[in-house]
Amino acid sequence: MKVQLFATCLVDSLFPEVGEAVVEVLAKAGVEVWFPKGQTCCGQPALNAGMRAEARTLALHTLEALEAEDVVVVPSGSCSEMIRHRYPELLADEPGQLKRARRLADRTYEFSEFLVDQLLVADFGAALPLVIGYHPSCHLLRGLGVDRQPLRLLEGIAGASTERLSPECCGFGGMFSIEMPEISAEMLERTLDRIRSSGIELVAGCDVSCLMQIEGGLRRAGSSVRCAHLAQLLAGREAGLK
Amino acid sequence: MTLAFRQRARQAIADPQLQRLLDQNADVRQQARMEALEELPQSGELRGRARSIRQQVIAELGAYLDQFGTRLAENGIQAQRAANAAEANRLILDIVQKHKAKLVAKSKSMLTEEIGLNAALEAAGIRPVETDLGEYVVQLRAEKPAHILTPALHLSTKDVAETFRRQLGASLGDDVEQINAEARSRLREVFLTAPVGITGVNFGVAETGTLCLVTNEGNGRMVATLPPVHIAVMGIERLVPTLDDLAVMLRLLPRFATGQAITSYVSLIHAPRRAGDPEGPTERHLILVDNGRSELASTPAAESLLCIRCGACLNACPIFREAGGHAYDSVYSGPIGAVLSPGLFGLEKYGHLGKASTLCGACTEACPVGIDIPGLLLNVRAEVEPKPLGRGLRLFSWVARSPTRFRWAQRTAALGGRLLARRAGWITQLPGPFAEWTHFRDFPPFASRPLRSRLRRARRPAKDRLPELEPEEVAPAAAQEAGEPDDRINRFEAKLKALGGEVIRCAEFEAADRIVGQLYVLGASRLLSWGPVEPILFTVLQRLEREGFPVVQPEVPEGARGTRAIRAFGEFPVGLTGAVAGLADTGSLILSGGSRRSLLPSLLPETHLAVVRSKDIYADLEGWLRAVGSPYVAGSSNLVLISGPSRTADIEMTLTMGVHGPRQLIVFLIE
Repeated sequence: MKVQLFATCLVDSLFPEVGEAVVEVLAKAGVEVWFPKGQTCCGQPALNAGMRAEARTLALHTLEALEAEDVVVVPSGSCSEMIRHRYPELLADEPGQLKRARRLADRTYEFSEFLVDQLLVADFGAALPLVIGYHPSCHLLRGLGVDRQPLRLLEGIAGASTERLSPECCGFGGMFSIEMPEISAEMLERTLDRIRSSGIELVAGCDVSCLMQIEGGLRRAGSSVRCAHLAQLLAGREAGLK
Repeated sequence: MTLAFRQRARQAIADPQLQRLLDQNADVRQQARMEALEELPQSGELRGRARSIRQQVIAELGAYLDQFGTRLAENGIQAQRAANAAEANRLILDIVQKHKAKLVAKSKSMLTEEIGLNAALEAAGIRPVETDLGEYVVQLRAEKPAHILTPALHLSTKDVAETFRRQLGASLGDDVEQINAEARSRLREVFLTAPVGITGVNFGVAETGTLCLVTNEGNGRMVATLPPVHIAVMGIERLVPTLDDLAVMLRLLPRFATGQAITSYVSLIHAPRRAGDPEGPTERHLILVDNGRSELASTPAAESLLCIRCGACLNACPIFREAGGHAYDSVYSGPIGAVLSPGLFGLEKYGHLGKASTLCGACTEACPVGIDIPGLLLNVRAEVEPKPLGRGLRLFSWVARSPTRFRWAQRTAALGGRLLARRAGWITQLPGPFAEWTHFRDFPPFASRPLRSRLRRARRPAKDRLPELEPEEVAPAAAQEAGEPDDRINRFEAKLKALGGEVIRCAEFEAADRIVGQLYVLGASRLLSWGPVEPILFTVLQRLEREGFPVVQPEVPEGARGTRAIRAFGEFPVGLTGAVAGLADTGSLILSGGSRRSLLPSLLPETHLAVVRSKDIYADLEGWLRAVGSPYVAGSSNLVLISGPSRTADIEMTLTMGVHGPRQLIVFLIE
């Protein structure tokens, strides 16, 4: 089986380590992975800012970049949700494009969802003797309904004990984080409190955007707790996004 | 304009007491909602039905309004349409002035907040008094409600007590019970003397012309029953087609609002006082307010009209939890407020609220009718002119349209990042608007080699196979509860007790003794009672007469004598009634007003005794509706579901009983 990796702009530009881990894990699971060169950003920042024209243009660009018939795997709940739910909405009035968007939506999977539900694998032989806090990111949980899959994958890590953090937004919200920074920071602080009060030694998740907010907060607070994308843990990496 | 919300949110964040109260609201209400839903295994299906009921109404609003209008006219309720706030206020004012009222008793209605009714009444020299405890406090402080359900959410017990001392000259401590007692006696006077009562409406039923009021304190019942004139004010969109549809809504609204299976009182009002009715307003009016709703119904934001004002999205929203209701500067706050305010009151003033969200979706998850609030917020954002950050995003989008430009931008950013990062760590200070990020958290440096440069060749799959997962077993759906008669009666008792009611089971032959005995146990000196409409009440009344125990069967004369009569009935410590039915799933009694079946014994006294027969216990409201049929329900001028004593948690979520209605409910269950 061949899959195309839609890495997302954040992983590509800020956290290539996460992308490498994703490739490694997928290869271990028995699939061939390739990186379509045309990909950039799914357009979610533009859509969230209310700029539909720009979002539409980037949706069309992404449709083009991921034109091959292979399954698309995305290491982000938020960008998967954009492709699966918001692309068909954005292109609802253009029958030809809508058809393409639906076809893409049907073959696009979030990373953990793809492993557990499609490949039926969860045990990668990784070992990490830590208390891991799983942060259920909002679009992954509520937009895609993906929750048991990452938890199942974390269960497969030898020596780790996993605690699911309460499903409250970390306060990232894209542009929200710099347009409403005080509220964003308060929400982050609540997330950090939950982490501190439960003795968690590492925060795992499936969205680097949220993890960037959380690790940014942990670092600023002088905490030694770090974040990691689920793929990094499955690939046996150390804690820390980078 | 974004700044206005941000500025007010900043103030809210800097106020530790407000933060404590907001946290408490979120924690208590969320927990209560989740527990209430756990007890409702079919909630998913019910929510789907509720959504399609509301969608159907909004899609064919004109037709349902016509049907509703016809029924109202047949039932003798005088209905008028108001296109906007000014027209609504004028229509209400005309009625109030026609009756030369200088005082108006109000029960909480966000719609009257929306149209600014109190200011309009005051400008005409009329004094409106809010009788919902939280709303009363907010009115005394000349503030706006901080939450559509819990107006005084932002105030501590101490604040409220201080307000009572300062504004009313009351001498009381910082104690919720004392505050309650003070409000009860002061507002009882308002109920008794106001010539006009104004309420909102939770749902109108098109098929029957029903006005449904959902309350806990009992003030809504007072306002709709005691003053000679009742004016109900309702948004045109708050309709459901049938009583069965209403039953679906009633299962969801209180559970999502406060976590209650049902509120203490649900009134189904159909008519003004009719010949033979022992009480009730001689005139009932309904003002149907449009105020932007029909225009909204033809836009993509029509979905926001599905809202049933339960407040669950406010309680679930992490932004509301930090910023509080006043930050929205609108009568409708929280996620739904950020959609409704620009939709109803204009983008110019409220379009910026579209940004008061991370689009986390907790609102939709909490919404009983599944409104896609994040989607609607995106629509609002799309209609607002992008600000400087938007222009930056436009540049970003242009860059991202070409992998070459994107790669070039990555290189530039990586170079910039290397200059900003301290050694190998994260960046602690970013320039320009991005400084808002680094005020509060570190930012990762851009990768010097992005992923695209690292993955030039496809990665081959590994040879070794990983162990495959067993497909998980799907849990079979829980079997529906059978609802055997005994089981129904046990559930009725358990539910009513959980609500703070008492249940005394007795056989027919001993019932009268037990009731009379209870009067002595309570130390009651007199009784307000239904007439001898059924054998047990007949026997009780006969016994009491023999013993010379004072009993009054209330009958309110019209005009000024009526006010005096109600005042006298209000002095009775105990009321005795029958009930047409009991509902097992909510522990409710159904009382239908009418000849010799006054609603006052279940409303005015501190203690309400009620007789219900086990054969009249139905599994739920739907079951009872099926048994009696909607014409029976619509034939009652005023029908009420009573579930436990009157209650409020308006002050710091502290539950207290007996704010306006009875403090104690004792049900004699005849087997």
